[in-house]
Amino acid sequence: MVLVLAPVAALAVRAGGMPDFGILGDAYLLRVLRFSLLQAGLSTLLSVIPAVIVARALARRQRLPGRPLLLGIMGVPLVVPSVAAVLGVVAVFGADGWLPLGRDLYGLQGILIAHVFFNLPLATRLLLPPLEQVPATQWRLARQFGLSPWQAFRHVEWPALRGALPGTALMVFMLCLTSFAVVLTLGGGPRSTTLEVAIYQSLRFDFDPGRAVVLALVQFGLCALLAAIAARFTLHRPSEIDTGGAASIVDSAVLRLVDSAAIVFALGVVGVILAAIVIDGVSGPVADVLSTTLLWHSLALSTGIALGATALATVTGWLVSASAARLAAAGRGRRADALEIAGAVVYVVPPLVIGTGYFLLFHGLVDLDRITVPVVIAVNALMGMPFVIRTLSPVMRQRETEYGRLCRSLGMTGRDRLRRVDLPLLRRPLGLAAALVAALSFGDLGVVALFAGDGQTTLPLLLYQYLSAYRVDDAAVVALVLLCGCLALFAGIERAIGGGRNAAG
Amino acid sequence: MRTIATIALVLAPLSVAADAALTVYTYDSFTSDWGPGPKVEQAFEARCGCDIELVGLADGVTLLNRLKIEGAATKADVVLGLDTNLTAEARKTGLFAPHGIDVGGLTLPVDWSDETFVPYDYGYFAFVYNTENLENPPASLRALVDDADGPDILIQDPRTSTPGLGLLLWMKKVFGDDAADAWRRLSPRIVTVTQGWSEAYGMFLKNEAPMVLSYTTSPAYHVIAEEDDRFVAADFEEGHYLQIEVAGVLASSRDPDLAREFLSFMLSEAFQSVIPTTNWMYPAAMAREALPDAFDDLVDPSPELLFDDVTVAASRRDWIDEWLEALSR
Repeated sequence: MVLVLAPVAALAVRAGGMPDFGILGDAYLLRVLRFSLLQAGLSTLLSVIPAVIVARALARRQRLPGRPLLLGIMGVPLVVPSVAAVLGVVAVFGADGWLPLGRDLYGLQGILIAHVFFNLPLATRLLLPPLEQVPATQWRLARQFGLSPWQAFRHVEWPALRGALPGTALMVFMLCLTSFAVVLTLGGGPRSTTLEVAIYQSLRFDFDPGRAVVLALVQFGLCALLAAIAARFTLHRPSEIDTGGAASIVDSAVLRLVDSAAIVFALGVVGVILAAIVIDGVSGPVADVLSTTLLWHSLALSTGIALGATALATVTGWLVSASAARLAAAGRGRRADALEIAGAVVYVVPPLVIGTGYFLLFHGLVDLDRITVPVVIAVNALMGMPFVIRTLSPVMRQRETEYGRLCRSLGMTGRDRLRRVDLPLLRRPLGLAAALVAALSFGDLGVVALFAGDGQTTLPLLLYQYLSAYRVDDAAVVALVLLCGCLALFAGIERAIGGGRNAAG
Repeated sequence: MRTIATIALVLAPLSVAADAALTVYTYDSFTSDWGPGPKVEQAFEARCGCDIELVGLADGVTLLNRLKIEGAATKADVVLGLDTNLTAEARKTGLFAPHGIDVGGLTLPVDWSDETFVPYDYGYFAFVYNTENLENPPASLRALVDDADGPDILIQDPRTSTPGLGLLLWMKKVFGDDAADAWRRLSPRIVTVTQGWSEAYGMFLKNEAPMVLSYTTSPAYHVIAEEDDRFVAADFEEGHYLQIEVAGVLASSRDPDLAREFLSFMLSEAFQSVIPTTNWMYPAAMAREALPDAFDDLVDPSPELLFDDVTVAASRRDWIDEWLEALSR
């Protein structure tokens, strides 16, 4: 929290004392606020509801051919820089695209298409673990009672989802609320202005830190409120942790059809846009771009930043989740919720605000261009922390409730407990969380663009630099490298930390 | 631990830099491998026997904001990459010293009397189109605005983009107080308004719209770098809005003499001849005859339209609000 609030405070001080909340009565800002909530709310619904169906299908079909690859692909959209995603959407749905929508693409529709592309796979990945952890005994019971698929959903799967759904919806909502280039470009014009755009505007041409602070606080407060509501709806289910029981599901021919349709749909949404990006990349000057040292430097820097941010986010996210879990086990659920919310909503403080704030704090003390990389790592870690808390917290709470007392009565603490109890149970969610953070920071542009000094070009920045020099084809190749790099990083981290498919948890 | 060691190894080379005698803040498309930066750096270092460090930031606006934050503590000696829409505000910070160099060699289409900033290149905004997709481009901004059956366009947002602001000023120059009405008439043919130039131009190359707001010099890139002559800028009767890019010396520079030497060098042939085919703009101090052939075929942008920087600084916010209002209906 301090890491986020300090730069915001620095901006406020710079603006000269108390921020002026009076600007909120402004008709422009009210319109902006309304549109922000509308597009983020709709995007969330359209991403999360299908994601429930897709996650269910994937949880049931453990032996689906190509399942690991499919899950890998679902991690990729997170890394796609928005400009590449926009060009991908245009390649598919644009005037010259495969499924031309013409002018109808621009407006709310375009924004929703891009947001579903980004968030349907993310939500699916976040909803999958709780479904996979439905104990085998419950499925056995469901079969013995002869439950229909719908009844099985209500009594077996829905309770498992309830713990993860509000948090997942909140994550998606925050991502859509802070979405920027997508909203501006596909939104068709200033009618589609979001709060994030207004913040950006106030820190650029206007350079009005006071206004930026007020707007950032509004965005922050809004999300904190929603997070508190989400926490209320989250059901922390006291049940045993067991290996997944998807092998003995309630099944039927209709269900198989529904599941296939869901998976094909998800693959369609994600795949068709990714395919457009890949085809653009492969038909570009691949050899030329790959032979520049700049590309490899950028790849190394981006990988370094991603790994650094992942390590930092994982450790801090772990600590926050562990404290929350202990509070919850001690019967102080409210405070546990508050802690998790605080850790999660930092995401919506725009990188530009955090970055500018850090500049205000540090300039004069150190040469800012020398600390660019550490600052970028820190900001990316902050942005990634909500993902860690999101994935770890539910499992940790459950574990603390069940094993906490046992561990204490056995006198098992510290490293011993970490190795024997925590790690085996948490490996898989931790692997997923780390992979998500890595993907996010690998593709991040926001912070880097603000800081980057000489020779500190990350892959997304390189992509932008090619684009801004008319070199659209070279940029397409960089986008391809980004995708491949992300896929490798995602799979590598998930496997290294999370273990193979059959690991415990 | 090993991971941390690996990260440290990867990042270590990036945190080491030579002791620079002259630090120049600029934008990153200037410092990129294919921008003017590498050649300029080499030529100046050979001349002065010193070290120059180019720090590439996102764009001109970011440059100015960075200076506002750093104030007199900035390590920059020279700032290169502001434009005439930002100079009034930059001057107001009080961070710049008079340039004090001879600007007699300037070949700008307008007189230059600014005592703080020295121009190094300039360009004109224009709507670029693909001749294969559009046979009869509008002949004037008025025709573009008034012809309901005219071509669709891609433009940039004046709140976030320099060309976007350029079009706003261009419309203001041509339509004056009727600009809001003109925007409303144009609005149905605006496919979308992008955050930056890159998105709009990228979408244009994917044929999302027959015309895009860019520069009169854009076609030269396609001719020289890609040997592709399909792209042309539409020649508008009212003239084209001018953007002049400038550099200035910081009052806090530790070596003001060297900084001024750099500004003089900026107007020399060694610097100016690099500009056309790296920055894709007109050099500010070079005879037209010396430009690459592809520049001869570009449209004649005269008369050049330009608000003075004080007017822009004073009215920008109101005009943007007017634009927002007109397009948000």
